[in-house]
Amino acid sequence: MTMPYISRHPLENRLPLEPGIRAVDHMDVPRGTAIATVMAMDGEDAAVAAGLAVAGDMSLRFVAPGEWLAVSQSDTPEGLCRNLSLLLAETASVFDQSDGRVVLRLSGPNVRRILAKGIGIDLHPAVFEIGTSSNVLCGHISINLARTGENEFELIVMRSFAESLFDDLRLMGREFDLSADFSAQG
Amino acid sequence: MASLIHCPHCGVRPKEEFSIRGDASLVRPDPEASDEAWHDYVHIRSNPRGRYREHWQHVAGCRRWLVVERDTFTHEVFSVTDGAATAREAGR
Repeated sequence: MTMPYISRHPLENRLPLEPGIRAVDHMDVPRGTAIATVMAMDGEDAAVAAGLAVAGDMSLRFVAPGEWLAVSQSDTPEGLCRNLSLLLAETASVFDQSDGRVVLRLSGPNVRRILAKGIGIDLHPAVFEIGTSSNVLCGHISINLARTGENEFELIVMRSFAESLFDDLRLMGREFDLSADFSAQG
Repeated sequence: MASLIHCPHCGVRPKEEFSIRGDASLVRPDPEASDEAWHDYVHIRSNPRGRYREHWQHVAGCRRWLVVERDTFTHEVFSVTDGAATAREAGR
């Protein structure tokens, strides 16, 4: 049977680490997440930001001025791109990145200390607040880091760097017995 | 080397996230300018001790080009601005 390359998750060889074991600090890897880049046309930054603010069913990640990642758990990649294109029409370019990026969710009381081993920014909730996101360097890999809760972070990494980042995170989390598995929701 | 750069879009970041792209004070000569003017623009660089304006690209962050004004001797950073904004101000 032939399988298209993209139907295979890049961490298929690594997960689950130890089946059934879930430590307090856990890395959750959703298999199917719809991700799209949104880039505002010249001078349309404010209009696109306003449009995205009212778009439901997706979360936004800040990348750069006039550039965002839209992430949706419930929508399909095609649906997400269609909705965004209709919403933003001529003011922005929307491109599907669902097969090109991998999402890793870290949660637990020690995740801040785990991430601090590879990330050079202040992760205190008073500085990096819940709901904020930014591109940062983790070790030598550029990722998009978002804080989704007091002790919850979401990392978005390019597909080809996913295995390398996964290995780095395992090493960073070994002190706290970081566990990892695919997300139960799929 | 200045080790913490305050990116106007991303906040305080370590220098490892940036790539240094050279002197920011150069102005491209007229296409018809003399060979000497073009030679100076392309090849000749000063290596000042003290204040220096440089292009830094935030490659691991917002990927924007920034203009960093820093002191090459004391490592002090005086200002960091977006390259596009700086060019607009200069009327380029």
